[in-house]
Amino acid sequence: MKIFISGLYSGTNPQPGVGIARSLRAAYPSAKLVGVEYSNRCSGIHWEDLDDVWLQPAWEHIDFDMYSRRIEDQLNEGAWWISGVDLEIMWLASAFPNGHVNLLTPPASALRKISKPAVEAHRGLPLNIPEFISTEQPDWDLHAFFREHGWKVWLKGPYYEAVRTGSWDVFERVRAILTNAWSTERLFLQAHVTGYEESVCFCAYRGEIVESVYMRKRELTGEGKTWAGEVTGVPEDFAAPLRKIVRELNWTGGAELEMVRDAEGKLWLLECNPRFPAWIHGSTITGRNLPAALIEHASQIKAKKQQALSDEFTRVVLEIPVRNEFPLPSLAEPYPGGVGHSLKHPSGTLALAERLQKLHIIEGRGNNDEDHPRKPTRSQNNGNGNGNRFTDRAERLKYSEVPTTFITDLTNIDLDSTPTPSWLFLENTATAAFERASQMATNLSTARVKVTNGYSIKTNPDERLIGLARDTGFLAEAISLSELQKALDLGFSPEQVVLNGPGKWWPDISRPGLPLHAVFSDSLNDLSYTLRSLESHAIQATVAGVRLRPPGTGSRFGISLETPEELMKLVDMIKALPRKYIFGVHFHLASSNIGVRQWWRLYESMLTWCRSIERLSQRSIECLDIGGGWFPDDWHDKSPDKLKNAIDLAHNSLPNLQEIISEPGKALAQPTMALAIRLLEVAEHKDAICDVVVDGSIAELPMHFVQPHRILHRTTTGEWQPLRRGKTRLLGRLCMEHDVVAANVELPPSVRKGDLLIVCDAGAYDRSMSYEFGRG
Amino acid sequence: MNLVVDNQPVRMENVTDIDLRAALARWRYSSPSVIAHHGKPCCATAREWLFATDHSQLNGNHKLMGPRWLRRKYNWGPSQWPMTWCHAVEQDDLDCGALAAISREIFTARSVVCHSVQLVQQYSEDTTSHWSAKWTNHPASAHWISGGMIYHEACGVQISSSEMRIWDPSAACWVNPKQFGGYGSILALRLTLDTAGVAGPFTWGHREVPAGEWHVL
Repeated sequence: MKIFISGLYSGTNPQPGVGIARSLRAAYPSAKLVGVEYSNRCSGIHWEDLDDVWLQPAWEHIDFDMYSRRIEDQLNEGAWWISGVDLEIMWLASAFPNGHVNLLTPPASALRKISKPAVEAHRGLPLNIPEFISTEQPDWDLHAFFREHGWKVWLKGPYYEAVRTGSWDVFERVRAILTNAWSTERLFLQAHVTGYEESVCFCAYRGEIVESVYMRKRELTGEGKTWAGEVTGVPEDFAAPLRKIVRELNWTGGAELEMVRDAEGKLWLLECNPRFPAWIHGSTITGRNLPAALIEHASQIKAKKQQALSDEFTRVVLEIPVRNEFPLPSLAEPYPGGVGHSLKHPSGTLALAERLQKLHIIEGRGNNDEDHPRKPTRSQNNGNGNGNRFTDRAERLKYSEVPTTFITDLTNIDLDSTPTPSWLFLENTATAAFERASQMATNLSTARVKVTNGYSIKTNPDERLIGLARDTGFLAEAISLSELQKALDLGFSPEQVVLNGPGKWWPDISRPGLPLHAVFSDSLNDLSYTLRSLESHAIQATVAGVRLRPPGTGSRFGISLETPEELMKLVDMIKALPRKYIFGVHFHLASSNIGVRQWWRLYESMLTWCRSIERLSQRSIECLDIGGGWFPDDWHDKSPDKLKNAIDLAHNSLPNLQEIISEPGKALAQPTMALAIRLLEVAEHKDAICDVVVDGSIAELPMHFVQPHRILHRTTTGEWQPLRRGKTRLLGRLCMEHDVVAANVELPPSVRKGDLLIVCDAGAYDRSMSYEFGRG
Repeated sequence: MNLVVDNQPVRMENVTDIDLRAALARWRYSSPSVIAHHGKPCCATAREWLFATDHSQLNGNHKLMGPRWLRRKYNWGPSQWPMTWCHAVEQDDLDCGALAAISREIFTARSVVCHSVQLVQQYSEDTTSHWSAKWTNHPASAHWISGGMIYHEACGVQISSSEMRIWDPSAACWVNPKQFGGYGSILALRLTLDTAGVAGPFTWGHREVPAGEWHVL
């Protein structure tokens, strides 16, 4: 008996070929095992259980037709083929559309039903799929996904690779790398699930499961790969639906379902691999030899029974002799200044992915004719610098939605005579936002708890916005005496100002003689100083409070509660606060940075601390100041029920609560301004726009790496059209290497020097933190 | 207390039934550790801090998630008994009894029913001799060590009316109910029900664990 086994890569993220060979050798001592590889750099070709090695060139050089004919010849002669490479399995499904009795891989129809991330075939199994979104969606929506999931999100490739991307700039960088590596925009983001990793592995022949095992990972590598595990049988409540699904899929070959079990005991499916896992010999050690069972079932040749050596397995690193016929190849010359030499994808896996993309084999529409792809390609001159490499993206990538008020405001501005770069105040957008917030506060106020908005001056100190805040009943939130003075200058009374932050007493200027609405202390020293200032009448306030920093927030602000000593000191100082002051608590964290769900969790956590403080100090908390850093789409005016529930929760927790100050942060300011910029130069490469120099810069858009901005282009007919993602870079005017305003937009082919672009969503920290640079 | 093991033959590799019987006889009157309350603000503050911190650390995750943060905050090491809450939270090191007592209170504060679990675990004298030296150099008792075996405390976390998991707060992990014997394995356990109206027995994995008596695995 002759068995071909592919997937012999044996690095830190190994393929299963060596494990399959070990298992087959144990069951069939006299079988001829032939290792199939596409690079002599794969160390698995030297494994002693392989009788022969069928070494092919790297995938980019393989003639598909010739290779499939040779494989067919082998299969026709009675050899068996077990593949350990996902992409090879996809290609085989296309090369052998009707299968072959000796080809132990699944059909294309089955592969489509297990494709990530939805894994359509999982239905019926006791499994959940973690939330996901395709990166073909606009950046605006992807940013929302990150915020929703607290930035605990994986960016996953279509076949392999998953990278935890905890910030927008990291995501943009990794997306560019994966898109380029796998020749597709079809990546996806998936929410992280915390828990223990488990797997179900099975082998099947023509829709009938031959054997299956359950494996719980007991040790993992730094990459999260199995290093040790415990193997048992598959529980019947899982096995029964699995049998039904495998039958429907008409599955042949090995497979692995990778799952996570959360604290509640729920199972989440991460992916379904169409092959045996790399730990497959671990199962054989426990007496369950799945590769042998598959061969035995398909060939009807009795396998030698394997004694269970243990119920658990672990891995070690082994040095083995190199085969004489395959001496080690020379190492590639390191790049200047480079460190180490990567063995990643030595067999041309990336090239295979690109070829399969081109043939649309992934979608199951392959025709195996790379020179005449079935799907017509978009013109190479698509204005996007893509050539024909990403032929699928043009139809797939979506445009952002832009609020109609933006367009209305823009049509009211004489843009032709507007110098650029220039900030545009979107008056209707701003007025509507402040009025909505004001109305919401009124609606949410009750006889027991008054809800008031606070406008954070630092977010954007533009007098028009501060004026809108004043006219719509907001309190002014100041972080310095300068900001306090500005609020007073613009018509706020001291009783309408909240003073907080670690540097609130800076600079040393006169303080108002009348009481402020509230002063919140940022540290125990600050609290001590504030108490002395209040008693000496150096400052007056109706509410005296503290900003809390519960454990795990990662914030630098507020009074730390990390140790019981700190809590005790805080409680003692609160006890000393004269009763004539209302006691309040300030809780601000940027929800756009920590995530929306996380913000609400921390809010509940903060209320827990408030209850403890009330119990220990015997002092009621009557004022809560909450908020900060809300992304406009996450702000409560679109879902007021959340804030209403939060107010109810606060009142239930703190029965003497009288006032909630809700500070929307950038939710109000961000949409109210845009930056008008013009194209200075348009550079083309291979008839496509690759780089555009604009007269704006990161000096005007310092938040460019934190959040996406929706960019509008005016068409020749005068309509405003949002740009979608592409390969064109908008380079800023500054002579600074990192002045890239946007690295991934698609400009229409008709753009010319002098054309106007409007960068929206720039009214918060882009505006307030912009700086003078390169203007002489 | 009537030890069930008194009449049971116990067989396991490298551990004779005589060793285990002797160990159980040594710890048969050991009760689960309990932390005392001064009845003053010092202990009230300590407990408020503990529960509020756990709420923050749990961070909205499921209430059955183990309080792993405790082991990040406190090393496993010798403790002096009797112990009060204000004393416990200030320590750098806490022994298994203190960590188990705190963890039980934390689970209870989360509205999770939690019981005391006492364990006899097998290690080796090569290992336990180091622990013995560490405990002897500290004004703490090394009574918990007997040759290659140790007495250990954990939490029986009830996940349904008849099922429990065992959280080992010293190792910050859930104990695998599938025991294989050997180094680190559990030889015997005693479940003490701390909640009124709860009777047991409970299933732990595929095992049934009776309450109130030593149960040899």
